[in-house]
Amino acid sequence: MGRVVQIVALSLLGAALMGWTAACNNQSGFSGSVGNTPNGPPLASYNILGTVGTPFTATVSDSRSSWTFQGNVPLSVIIANNILPASVIATKTTSSNNLLSVEIISGFHVANLQSTRAPFGTVSLQVGGMLGSISSPADPDLRIFLSGPQNLSYQALVEDINTGFIINARAPTLILFDSPNGKVDATFFGPTNFTTFTANMTFCTPAAPGQTCTPVVVVSEKTGPNLTIRQP
Amino acid sequence: MVCALAGGSGSAWAGNGKTALVAVAFTGAPPPGFQNVLLNVQGVRINPHANAGPSSSGWQLIPTPPGIGGGNQNAELQIDLNNLQDVPELFNTTKVRPATYKVAQLLLDSNNPGSLIPNCPQSPGGPEGCIPYPISLTNGQVIITGPISGFAPSNKIVAQLLIHVVATVTPPFPTQAGGAYTVTLAVNPTTTGLGAITGQITNMGSTSGSMGKLIKLGVTAETIGTNTAIGTALVKNKTYTLMLPAAAGFGTLYDLAVAGGGDSYSAARLPPLYPNTMINGPTFAVTGQVVGNITGSVSDGCTAGKQVVGATVQVLVPPGDQSNPNINVDCTDPIVAKGCIAVATATTDNAGNFPLPGTLTMPPQFENVPAPPKANAMGVGPIVNGAYAMEVTAPGYDPLFVQVKPSNGTGKNSGGVCAPRGSSTFKTCALSLSTAFISGTIPIVPPPPGQTTLVQVFAEPTGTNDIQSALTMPISNRNPNGMVKFTINVPSRIPSFDLFSTTIDQYQGTSTPFPGHTMAVLSPVVMPLPLMACNTNSSADFVDTIDCVGHGSITGIAGNANLGASVALSKPDPTSGNQVQLTTTQIQNQSASNALDPTNSYAFCVPGDTYQVQPIQLPPPVQGEAPLIAPTAYPTGDPASVTVIPASVVHGTPGPTPTSSGVPTPTPTPGFKLSCPTTCSNPDGSCPGICNTTIQPLMVPATPMPPPPATATPTATATP
Repeated sequence: MGRVVQIVALSLLGAALMGWTAACNNQSGFSGSVGNTPNGPPLASYNILGTVGTPFTATVSDSRSSWTFQGNVPLSVIIANNILPASVIATKTTSSNNLLSVEIISGFHVANLQSTRAPFGTVSLQVGGMLGSISSPADPDLRIFLSGPQNLSYQALVEDINTGFIINARAPTLILFDSPNGKVDATFFGPTNFTTFTANMTFCTPAAPGQTCTPVVVVSEKTGPNLTIRQP
Repeated sequence: MVCALAGGSGSAWAGNGKTALVAVAFTGAPPPGFQNVLLNVQGVRINPHANAGPSSSGWQLIPTPPGIGGGNQNAELQIDLNNLQDVPELFNTTKVRPATYKVAQLLLDSNNPGSLIPNCPQSPGGPEGCIPYPISLTNGQVIITGPISGFAPSNKIVAQLLIHVVATVTPPFPTQAGGAYTVTLAVNPTTTGLGAITGQITNMGSTSGSMGKLIKLGVTAETIGTNTAIGTALVKNKTYTLMLPAAAGFGTLYDLAVAGGGDSYSAARLPPLYPNTMINGPTFAVTGQVVGNITGSVSDGCTAGKQVVGATVQVLVPPGDQSNPNINVDCTDPIVAKGCIAVATATTDNAGNFPLPGTLTMPPQFENVPAPPKANAMGVGPIVNGAYAMEVTAPGYDPLFVQVKPSNGTGKNSGGVCAPRGSSTFKTCALSLSTAFISGTIPIVPPPPGQTTLVQVFAEPTGTNDIQSALTMPISNRNPNGMVKFTINVPSRIPSFDLFSTTIDQYQGTSTPFPGHTMAVLSPVVMPLPLMACNTNSSADFVDTIDCVGHGSITGIAGNANLGASVALSKPDPTSGNQVQLTTTQIQNQSASNALDPTNSYAFCVPGDTYQVQPIQLPPPVQGEAPLIAPTAYPTGDPASVTVIPASVVHGTPGPTPTSSGVPTPTPTPGFKLSCPTTCSNPDGSCPGICNTTIQPLMVPATPMPPPPATATPTATATP
């Protein structure tokens, strides 16, 4: 038991040190165009939980951009560079009575929670105030999908040329980068040497303001225990 | 500069000596008059000392289950006491130290312990209904304690702990949105109420040629006909035991799926399970196999380059031991497949690839697929030698059935090969789903400038409540010309659909689960012939209008109801008159002794409009008999037409105001503080006021029920 705790603690320390290196000195494989990155504000995360495997479609919006995606329970969603207030609307896409639960996590606590078991039931939540309407589709639309071991807690640094955001989340995770300045890269730090991450970065630009575009995978990486993915 | 990363928190609660399994479930006694009584549960803990305080030693935690969050402080399971009045809901099964426990505690979120959603008031002056109100617990207690008697989990049994949660509401009641209800909670733990399934596994062999981690051999109980896992028991000493929720007097149907350990698959469909009884499950004979993996991708067959995200992929086997399979059962046949059982499930990621990774300690099920049986090498049936049946489903697409062979050994990047039904040509599992499209318009009373209305559209086969598809993204309408355009994917092999739309509304700026706009319906929407992939019906133009009318509710007793009865809500198409089914609700708190018990009731939160309510009934399972397929509900008794009077209009044009549906509204009711917009607002700045409820009793025709089974306290023999 004691040894397990020791291993966990050392792994976390190692991850923290690697993160320090990555964020401070641009010496961990980040592209040359991405350099000093001021610390971004803490990010709320949106956890879509419930009966494992339950399919859903969801729309996440902050006051500047919105994104629509489909997935299966569980999934953590994070908006990097967000401007609150934000909202999440998720609809089950199955006729079953499976549980679909959406939690907004702020810090380490559940700030808000709503659930449904209804066939094709919908839940909606807001954080940071009242969002009067869903914002226009993200332009550009840049997403990183991380499918590490399910429920694995990890840490990551996601940054554009201006700002770096520290993320503490559980895999699988969908990271949405709102209005990036320049190219984006991210490094994920596995808590153990046995971690293998798979990450896809998708990107698209709407043909006209207010229109949606279809995200296309522009780069994929699979490695561990740490993974870096860079926008081409 | 980012110069520090916050430290993570390790979970190290699994302590020494935790060798006794405990299955925890909830039942509920909610206060009357509420659509939902929601509690945010972070865990349950038990202690051998009757007077143990919150910080005493000896507490054993039963955390929220995996998928909900994994047992840390972010993890919460929201339970609805209204849904727990008749059938328990399993919370989690976990290990604790063997001991005689004297006290149990329910742990709620200290910041947000739960919420109540009342029905609309039956008399003037009540609070707005169908919106969530926070709860304030008496004395601020978020840890609710109850004594246990005779609860002694040991290494020899799986102990059950059924926690009955009683909630009462005391005045004063809230006078505005956001105000809190004062709630007193009590818990009464008992050690009976679940049903048990136990049996043997024989011929467990050692796998050969496997690579990587193996899933431990386990038996999973699934809701009949689905891949929804309710509970899993690991096999120990060739024995398995499951403690599961069961409907009293009606029975609950489960499938069993045996998988893991490098052994062959096995599966069974069981007779109904009753509370406080035990089913002697089948003895499964499995054999050690070479374990392989299955990988692949799922794409849209009508849109080049589009991947299907969130598709569900299942390996299906017929009931019985797969080391000696029934070669006459072809699970790639869509009709026959209803009698088959899912033994492995995967989903696609954002690039359409499957499977997703497993956990650190457990690989995904598609990474541990035993070699398929070779007994069907006789050439009988369309499944060729050494292949499984695999089903791929996604909302809005036709289900796809293929044959699949796993790789020889795990960890392959392109593991496994697939072939169409009846073919012997196997290729990489790059699968394509077919679909069709419906597009059209829905009239909507536009919101005032600067506001938007979110519209969702659903499609179901005509005359059913089997929803097949929804928009992938709700439509954000701010169009002043009052028309919403939509396009929805639908399966291409269904000849006709019913469509209905709902809105996703807020109430004075906060989220609420029930809409305040009318639900527009359209039936039928006939697909062009011949039915084929990529068909399009582009003339699905609604006549029914989405209007801002506010909340409403329908409540009533449902006489004679049993646990298989529920109520369907539908709305007539204004042109064809077809009833379009919108939703169903369970009948709560069935009373076996009094068919007209007033607590034997149902309720809907729906916007003001005219609807039809219709009792529907699941056929009662036959005691001791396993059905071939999952039963489906059928209409029974007489439907009733119900008009929910739209909420009064406030802060706008005074007096009764006709809506687009032509139903006049009553005068506003005082007592509840309102400001516009409520759920929505009209162009003149007015908005719906306090909502109304309509009482509509129903009588469910009596259904012959099976004789009650002899009850016996289940005593399991499995050792965890």
